Formats: sequence, C-alpha cells, structure tokens
Amino acid sequence: MRNSRRTTAIAIAGATAFALLATGCTGAASGDDGDNITLTVTTFGTMGLGDLYAQYEEENPGITIKATNIDTGDNARTDAFTKIAAGSGLADVQAIEEGWLGAIMQVSDQFVDLNDYNADEVADTLTPYKLAQGTDPDGRIIGYGTDIAPQGLCYNGPLFEAAGLPTDRAAVAELFGNDEASWDTYFEIGAEYKATTGKSWYDHSGFVWNAMVNQLDEGYYTADGELNIDGNAELKDRFLQLAEATTSGLSDNQTAWDWGGGQAFTDGSFATFVCPAWMLGVLKGQVEAADGDATTGWDFADVFPGGSSNWGGSFLTVPTQSKHPEEAAALAAWLVAAPQQVAAFQSAGTFPAVLEAQSDPGVTGESELTEFYNNAPLGEILAARADGITAQFKGPDDSVIQSQVFGPPLKALDSGSVDGEQAWSDALALITELGVE
Amino acid sequence: MTSTLDRPAAPSTTPPPAPKQTLTFRQKINRWDVRYSPYLYISPFFILFGLVGAFPIIYTLVVSLNDWNLLSGPGEWVGLENFRTELTSPLFWNSLFNTMSIFILSAVPQLIFALFIAAVLDQNIRSKTLWRMSILLPYIVTPVAVALIFSNMFGERYGLINNMLDGFGLEPIMWKTDTFPAHLAIATMVNWRWTGYNALILLAAMQSVPRDIHESASLDGAGAVQRFFSITLPSIRPTVIFVIITSTIGGLQIFTEPKLFNASSATPGGQQRQYQTTVLYLWDMAFNRQDFGRAAAIAWILFIIIVAFGLINFYLSRKIASVNSRPSRVKRQRRGKHGSTQIPGSAPVSANVAAPVSATDRSTSTSEETPS
Repeated sequence: MRNSRRTTAIAIAGATAFALLATGCTGAASGDDGDNITLTVTTFGTMGLGDLYAQYEEENPGITIKATNIDTGDNARTDAFTKIAAGSGLADVQAIEEGWLGAIMQVSDQFVDLNDYNADEVADTLTPYKLAQGTDPDGRIIGYGTDIAPQGLCYNGPLFEAAGLPTDRAAVAELFGNDEASWDTYFEIGAEYKATTGKSWYDHSGFVWNAMVNQLDEGYYTADGELNIDGNAELKDRFLQLAEATTSGLSDNQTAWDWGGGQAFTDGSFATFVCPAWMLGVLKGQVEAADGDATTGWDFADVFPGGSSNWGGSFLTVPTQSKHPEEAAALAAWLVAAPQQVAAFQSAGTFPAVLEAQSDPGVTGESELTEFYNNAPLGEILAARADGITAQFKGPDDSVIQSQVFGPPLKALDSGSVDGEQAWSDALALITELGVE
Repeated sequence: MTSTLDRPAAPSTTPPPAPKQTLTFRQKINRWDVRYSPYLYISPFFILFGLVGAFPIIYTLVVSLNDWNLLSGPGEWVGLENFRTELTSPLFWNSLFNTMSIFILSAVPQLIFALFIAAVLDQNIRSKTLWRMSILLPYIVTPVAVALIFSNMFGERYGLINNMLDGFGLEPIMWKTDTFPAHLAIATMVNWRWTGYNALILLAAMQSVPRDIHESASLDGAGAVQRFFSITLPSIRPTVIFVIITSTIGGLQIFTEPKLFNASSATPGGQQRQYQTTVLYLWDMAFNRQDFGRAAAIAWILFIIIVAFGLINFYLSRKIASVNSRPSRVKRQRRGKHGSTQIPGSAPVSANVAAPVSATDRSTSTSEETPS
C-alpha cells in the first residue's frame, strides 16, 4: 500500500503535468525581450526579400526579424485566411497577393492604416495604380506595393523563324501592332502560324483569359462592386473570341504550373506565352528544369495584345494583430524602398512598384535573366508596359470566379469538348451553382 | 492498510455501539484516494478529448447553423439552411460519389492484395524480416511525396504511363480529365500506400492461427488454397473486419491524394471536379469560397455518414462474430458434419479441418494424401 501510494502520487503529478502540457500550449513566444523587439515577416513564393533582413537588423539595433516564406501564393492565402479567421497568428509584416486582395478588402479594418505611420512618405514614390490597389474604399492605405506585374509577350525565336515570322524584338512588336496591338491580330497571326506549322500558338487558354479580363476597365465586378458577368457584352465577346481561337486549335491544352516539368517550353509545343513580370523568372525556371537554357530561344517583346495589362504583384501589410505596428510599418516601408526593390528584382525578377527603382541601372541593366531572354532589356520593356495600367476593382469573389467559374469551361474548351456558346452558358450556370456574389 | 480497516464501517447502516469514530485527515485522504483517483487517472484522455475532439465538433455545429464568412466571421443565424443547401447541391453529391467510387476502387483491391501478400509472407520463406519490413516501406513515405510521384507518372502529356502506352501504339489515357481513370489513378496511390500496412496486420492475425489445424488439414489432403479459404480466412475474420473499418474511415476522409493529384488545378479535385472528394470539397468551401458555415455543415454531414458506416460495420461484425463464435469447436464440428455451406470443399476434409485431429480421423483418411 505504501508503495502504491507513492505511485499514485507520481501518477497524479504525471497526469497533471501532462494535462498542463496539453492545454498550456502557447504562453511563451511573445516578442519582447527588454528593449529588443522581434518582428515577424511572412512572405511567399519568390519575393526576393530574404537577403535584406540581416541588413535591416544591422541598421536598426534592437530589432530582430523572424522571417517565414511560404512556398506558393495559394498556400500563403490559406495560411493568412485561417489566421485572420482565428484572430491571431498573423505576422507583423504580412505579404498579400493581388489575387486575394478583393477578399482582404472585405476585412480591411483588420489591417493597420499605414497613413498613421508616415505612409505619405512612401505613397508618392509608388506606381500610382499600385498605390490605388492597396488603398481601401475608405481611403486607408493598408498595403505598400512591392512589385507590379505589367505584361509583355514572350515568344520563341526559333519557332517564329521556322514559321517565317520575324524574330527581331522590334519587328515582332511591329508585327503584333505595337501600341495598336489587339487580340484580333494576335489570334490572326496565331491562325497563320497554326496553318504553317501545325503547332499550337499559346499553352492554354486560362492565362490568356486572365490577361484579357485584367486589362478591362471593369472586370468581373463593376467599379462600385456589383457582379458584372451575366449580360456583360464586352466580357462575353472576348470570351467567344478566345473560345473560337481555342477550338480552332491554337491552344495546346497544357496543364498550367505543371507543363510536363518544363518540357512544354523546350519541345516547341507552342510559340507564345503571356508574361507578367514575375512570369519571366517562372519561365526561365521551367526551361531550366527541362534542361533547356538561353538557346531554347525565348524572348520578350515590348507589346501586348489589347493594350497594357497587369497580372499579380504583392503588397506588404501590417495586421492590427501586430503588437508593434509602428516598427512593422517602418520595416514594410523600408522593404519597398528603391534600393531594396532593386535587390529583389535582381534576385527574383519581381518588377519594383517604386518608381525610382524602375529606372535604376540595377533593374534596366544586364543580369542572368536578361541573358536568358536573348539579352532583352527587360527592365526598360517592363517599365514601358506599365504605362497606361489602371487599377481594376477586385471584388470579394474575384479569385473564385477566375478559377472556379471560368476555369472549368476554359479547360473544357482546351480539351475540345464544348463550343464557345456552351462554355459561356456553363460559366453562367457555375455562378449560380457556386453562389458567387 | 487503513483504508481496508475503514471499509466495513462505511457501508454498514446500523451504527456500532462503540463511540463514534471521526476519521483522521489521513484516513479521509485514503478514502478519497480509493474512490476518486481512478477517475483522475483516466481524466487526461477525457480532458484532451474534450479539448481537441468534443469541443471542435460542437463548435462546428454552431458554425454550421450560421451564415459564417471565413474572414468577416459570423453573420446571421440561419438554422438548418446550410444543411439544406448542401443536401440539394449537385456539387456535394458529386463529391460524395467521387469519395465512394475512390473508396471502393481502393478498399476492395487493397484487402484482396493485402490478404494475398500476408498469406505469402505467412509461408516459410527465406529472410522473412526483410520481406516483412519491405512491404511496409510505402507506408513510411509521406503521402505528399507519393502523390507527387504518382501525379507525375499519370501525367497526360508527359507522364511515364502514357509514354509507355504511346510506345505500344496505344491511345493515351486522360488520367486527369476523365473521371474513371482519375479515380483509378488516385485509388492506385492509396493502395500503394496502405496495402503493405494492412498486410502486416493481417499477417499478425494469421500467425496466431494454430499450426496444428493447418497440419491436420494438409494431412487430410487439403491444398494450400483450400486451407487458406477454409482455415486462415475464417480464423482471422475479426482482424479483417478491423481492417475494413479502419480503411472505411480513412477512405471517407481521403484528401491529400486527390488534392495533390493535380496540385495546380484551379478547382481542387480536377477542373470539372472529376475527383473532388467530400473533404476536398469541404476544404474548398472553407478556404477558397470562404463559406465557413456551409463548410461546417459538410463536415457534420460527413461526420454523420462516417458514424453510420461505423454502426453498419459494427452491426455486421457482431453478426458475423456471433455466427462464428470462436471457442465452440464442438459447434463448428457439428456444422462441419452437417455439410455447412461456409466451407467449400469435400465434406470429410472440412469436418477434419474444424475438429481436433484424432487417431480415428487419421486412420480413415486415405494414405496416399500425405503432406510433403
């Protein structure tokens, strides 16, 4: 009995400790350590900020940065949304992608108004449309733009040559119509290319559709936030135009983000590709994954069908959950400033939103990336492509509409199982089925 | 020791004539110890379960009764509206169909192969441990890696399998576009991962089947196949049922494989939702479509379905167990003698299989059928 009593005591102690352990979970990990402040930063994909934190810590004694980078934007979105829903866990400086900005704007009050922390000093330095995107309807600036993503046209030189098309960058821009470039011309040349070579013109219709929608003044929503799809003649015209091109065989029905491990870019399956700034790095990575290099022949022309268009780009925000909003806002402002963004461009190819950096020799000059694109002056072209872009209103369900309303019918068009009218009515049916608002 | 002394005092209702004895503090402690500490010992499980099991289930129910946006939080109380919406949504039924289809395509072959592998490993083979460990290898690999590799193999344009088909001059199979091939491909992933695991469980059960029954059966001329169906399978029936239950629960909650089968698909589970399982549909509802209320309703419907499956399994397994209750060898023998339908094979053999081997049995069996 004596013995058993002791074991009882031990068991109780053990059980209590276990219960405490199980229920206590957090409790530590608060940021402060005397005067030291720990700032957390969450980014995603390749934003090129990773090397800058150490420099900031050095220049600002007493600040320690704990950075997390999430592999893809989609995973980062799930992570951020979960933490917003839970009301805790967001980083002091949280990166947000343009694609989910519409949803974020619903809860913009959960993000610090950077106007309270000297936003005016940053605001004037940013590309105006980028600043407008990061400002909520009440005029609160909730995010500083890091990079913008004007789109240019990527084309494959050798494939163009084989089809008897010009290969020189300026001549290609001319071919598509320079500033007058339209989707009509783009698809016409595609039809000729298809007739000559029997090959596809673009990889799949989803990306092309993305570009076509993004360059409209009003996309899936009107500027005052009304759903704008059913009865939107302009949108439907564009859809049918794309559908006709796709059903006539211009689309290669590739799986985006897979592309057969990059082989699609090296085996000559298609000759053109829509390229927002960040895509330049992606394309290069894909080609290299399939053992290709600069000789694969991808090039970047200063032209885009239908005029200038932006697709993507990120923002740095400070959630109200942050315990150190002032320091976090200062860090965010520093990260989007010109010298840092030049460094980010050089490491990741993200085109700076800050105007000063766009003409910086570090951006306009040569790099590994320009070498890959047949020595195209990427920085200059992108700056030119940014001209005339306006901020399109993004509604709360914008990304759902993009992926789940138009994704399936476009894929069906790619695989040739429906015609344009059918695909359009399928899309409208999906709006009802998904309850998009 | 004191506690045992106290014991008679407590239940006796008639007060003893002796002066009323008040318990010392120590005695009281001892009494509490005996009475309440067992509950304390088991409490950690219940506390934990309450925190990570019961509370979320109830909280989910509350969420499901609200119009609840992921980001902006609870809206109006809508009662059972979310459940009604889901039960009439074609997308929900589509997801349920996909789940069932993938489940059947995976569970059935999985069980058959696992039984076969376990039966082979149960034989006297060289380097047993090596083989037994090897079949568990796929289980150790994380499902994400498995899904990525298989997803690559099943690629439509550049995948290994379609390349091979192409080499033979066959038409490529649209693994990620057509519904049935996609289900088959996902079921293959599941099978690859779980067959070895289930085989090991079944093997453990098989090893506890008494060898003497096998021996006597083979003396009576039963071949390996016949012994497997007449002895091994009936003896490990409870384990088979366990494997079926666990794979049912797992199968109804399948997520990783269909999610990563086409990781880049904008609509999770295939562009046309060809292989969007219910859990994937739930995830999509919560995190892409941001409708937390409906996602919670889906979670609850799925919970009820799983409980229903569990109850059916439980009922069936009790039924089977009571028909086939193990200790009554006599009963089995009797059934055997009456020419039971359960044991395929000639009557004398099956009688011998069930009955303990006796001298008379051996003498009656034909001499030429001696075991090798």
